[in-house]
Amino acid sequence: MRITNNMLVNNMIYYVGNNLSRMESYQSKLATGKKISVPSDDPVVAARALKLRTDVSQVKQHKTNVQDALSWLEITESALSNVGAILQRARELAVQGSSSTATADDTKKIEQEVAQLRQQLIGIGNSTYAGRYIFSGFKTDTKLMNDDGTFAIGVDGDESIIFEIGISDNINVNVLGGDLFNNGGIATATSKGQLIQNMDDFLAALNTGDHNLISNAIANIDDDMNNLLRIRANVGARYNRLEMTSDRLDSDEINFTTLMSENEDVDQAQNIMLLKSEENVYKASLSGGARVIQTSLVDFLS
Amino acid sequence: MRESFFGFNVAVRGLYTAQRNLDIINHNVNNVNTPGYSRQQAVQTASRPISIYNGTGMVGSGSEVIGIERVRDEYLDIKYWSESVSYGEWEAKKALLSDMEVTFNEPSDSGFNTILDEFFSSLQELAKDPASEAIRTLVSERGVTVAKYFNSLATHFEELQIDVNDRIETKVSEINSIGAQIQQLNRQIYSAELDGNTANDLRDQRTLLVDKLSKIINIDANEVVVGKLLNGNEDKRFVITISGKAFIDHFSLSKLAVTQRSSKLNPDEDVPNLYDVGWEDGNKLVIRGGELKGYIDIRDGNEGENGSPVYAGIPTYIKKLNQFVQTFARAFNEGYIDYDNDGVLEDGTGHADGYGKGGTTTGVRFFTMLGEENKAVSSADFIDGEITIAGIADRYSNITAKNFSVSKDILDDFNKIATSDTIGEVGNIVNINKLIELRTNTQMFAEGAPEDFMKSVITSLGIDSQQAIRISANQAAIVKQIENRKLSDSGVSIDEEMANLIKHQQAYGAAAQMVNAMAEIYDILINRVGV
Repeated sequence: MRITNNMLVNNMIYYVGNNLSRMESYQSKLATGKKISVPSDDPVVAARALKLRTDVSQVKQHKTNVQDALSWLEITESALSNVGAILQRARELAVQGSSSTATADDTKKIEQEVAQLRQQLIGIGNSTYAGRYIFSGFKTDTKLMNDDGTFAIGVDGDESIIFEIGISDNINVNVLGGDLFNNGGIATATSKGQLIQNMDDFLAALNTGDHNLISNAIANIDDDMNNLLRIRANVGARYNRLEMTSDRLDSDEINFTTLMSENEDVDQAQNIMLLKSEENVYKASLSGGARVIQTSLVDFLS
Repeated sequence: MRESFFGFNVAVRGLYTAQRNLDIINHNVNNVNTPGYSRQQAVQTASRPISIYNGTGMVGSGSEVIGIERVRDEYLDIKYWSESVSYGEWEAKKALLSDMEVTFNEPSDSGFNTILDEFFSSLQELAKDPASEAIRTLVSERGVTVAKYFNSLATHFEELQIDVNDRIETKVSEINSIGAQIQQLNRQIYSAELDGNTANDLRDQRTLLVDKLSKIINIDANEVVVGKLLNGNEDKRFVITISGKAFIDHFSLSKLAVTQRSSKLNPDEDVPNLYDVGWEDGNKLVIRGGELKGYIDIRDGNEGENGSPVYAGIPTYIKKLNQFVQTFARAFNEGYIDYDNDGVLEDGTGHADGYGKGGTTTGVRFFTMLGEENKAVSSADFIDGEITIAGIADRYSNITAKNFSVSKDILDDFNKIATSDTIGEVGNIVNINKLIELRTNTQMFAEGAPEDFMKSVITSLGIDSQQAIRISANQAAIVKQIENRKLSDSGVSIDEEMANLIKHQQAYGAAAQMVNAMAEIYDILINRVGV
């Protein structure tokens, strides 16, 4: 084949240009740490990158949701544990009051303490988490109970507050006022829940000093405690599930982040090697080209 | 009997021949870097010999240059034109598609994924604290960000379409200008060649212009023999046709022209007043290749809809964006999704089915569109009194990516973000939870969930762009290879020219020496013989 000077020059420009553009691609991978910068670099990697980004961000969101659900349940649990302590104390007092040795004076004193416990129960019914009433169902801006122990609002059985903790995986974070204060029933505005009613009956019995009536209260309080236990077991189970979900989300996050990195991050060691080798090719092509295009017969004619 | 000064004449011919050759070498060396130049060669022969009467033979009378020809393989030109047309088309597509690709800004930490992600995160936060004004503001702002993202995409695509339209106009005038130059050259070449010469340099110029033209639009260029000239040479006319119709026929030029469309090709996607390319005489032009086809495919390509080119160009992506915002807004606002894929929407729970904080009525739409003066339209104006599913759903065809917006109701009062499904329950998050579930609702689009839809849009653009990059790289290599073969044949080689220079220099020197020798002979004959 006949070779002309312009062929040499054109080829040199073409090949040096190609080398330089390959260098540029390695260089940009080095600088960004990513295999691709636009989808056309590798549409498959790009599609996976988009999917994994969504996965990672969803896992992150679910993690914060789980944390929030946990704190909500912690507050609930601490309220429930207070209720437990109150009921425990009330039962002790009931046992004391029902004893035939208790004098009218004693029952009066007990009555005063039980009245205090009752007030505390009402207070607990109005506990808040970050300014929201936790037992009020959906009416989180309204107190559950009036000071006289009647429900201030109605809370239906379907007022569960649901947090999303996974795709199609939800958890109920609240305990409904009626469940706790009305023995698993619903709360109806202005009516009195079973728990408070039992307290009121107990107080009335104490007031009369009738040992039989007082000992009836023991059975009632036992009922209340059973109800409480049921709720606490349920809250505990939810708490457990959240903790397990949290662990799973932690490992999901690591897995997805790893996948994301494997998918789109550059193996820098390999990349640097390739860049180095490309650099050598580039230099060689420059120096070879420079030599070839300079010389012609003109240099040797005198 | 011998002519007296025969030897002088032969020597002088030698001088002339060498000089002519040197002239040609000079010209070649001068044009070593002239684009399109093909090297020239002297056609040199021994001049007519003289018969000697007594039968001793024929005596040579020296040499002469009878012609100057260019070294050119015209097959390569034709080959070049046929490859360059596809190179031009895919180069144009490559550049534009990569521009479109960058618009989406994916994969990155600030593209669509992130924006949608942040929007749904804010909804999640709101579900956990539906009374919080701070989070309500956040949701409203993040909604605005989603809308603005689509507005800016659509605006960018529209600007790109206008830009491509301008390029089309420029290319058409470039075609006409090249045409006029070729027409001029046709005249010069024809008259120069009437006497049987070959107009080498003018032909080179013409071929170069055709090379340029072949990159812009599909052409067929031929020299057609139409008869014989009076002197017996062939009467050749140079003809260029575009899709069968003559663009240049010898001395006549039929120009192309752009005309503004009276109605849009893609009614829902195009910007108004785009150009149609046709013949100036009003005939329809079919463009089959070249940069012009690349531009038109990108500008008009709507996968064959409305008679547009069967290519995914700007209108295709605007259509996809419109489809996204319409479907997404419809599902988010109304809960309408075609769950059983029968083409009829089923009613589900949407934003309009819930109550805001302190709200007593439903029917607030989260997303509507920008109306007059680019102000967000309220839900009531948007729905315009429709009450049936079909009627309401139909209103969503008014939304485009360009005018997508958060509704006036929400912008004016973030408390209207409908979290609850019952009046007056501030902690009720049944409705917002339904909205959150939409993110993973795989039945919203044929492609799946919202992110799947956008992923498929972005990926298919990536694949098209990759295809354009590959094809144009292949074509570049082919064109380059043909160019090299042309250079190999027709290019000037300095070494060769220098070697020839020496060759002819020597020949000139030798011829000059012959003159000297002859002079001496005549000196002897005239001055010394018989004196």
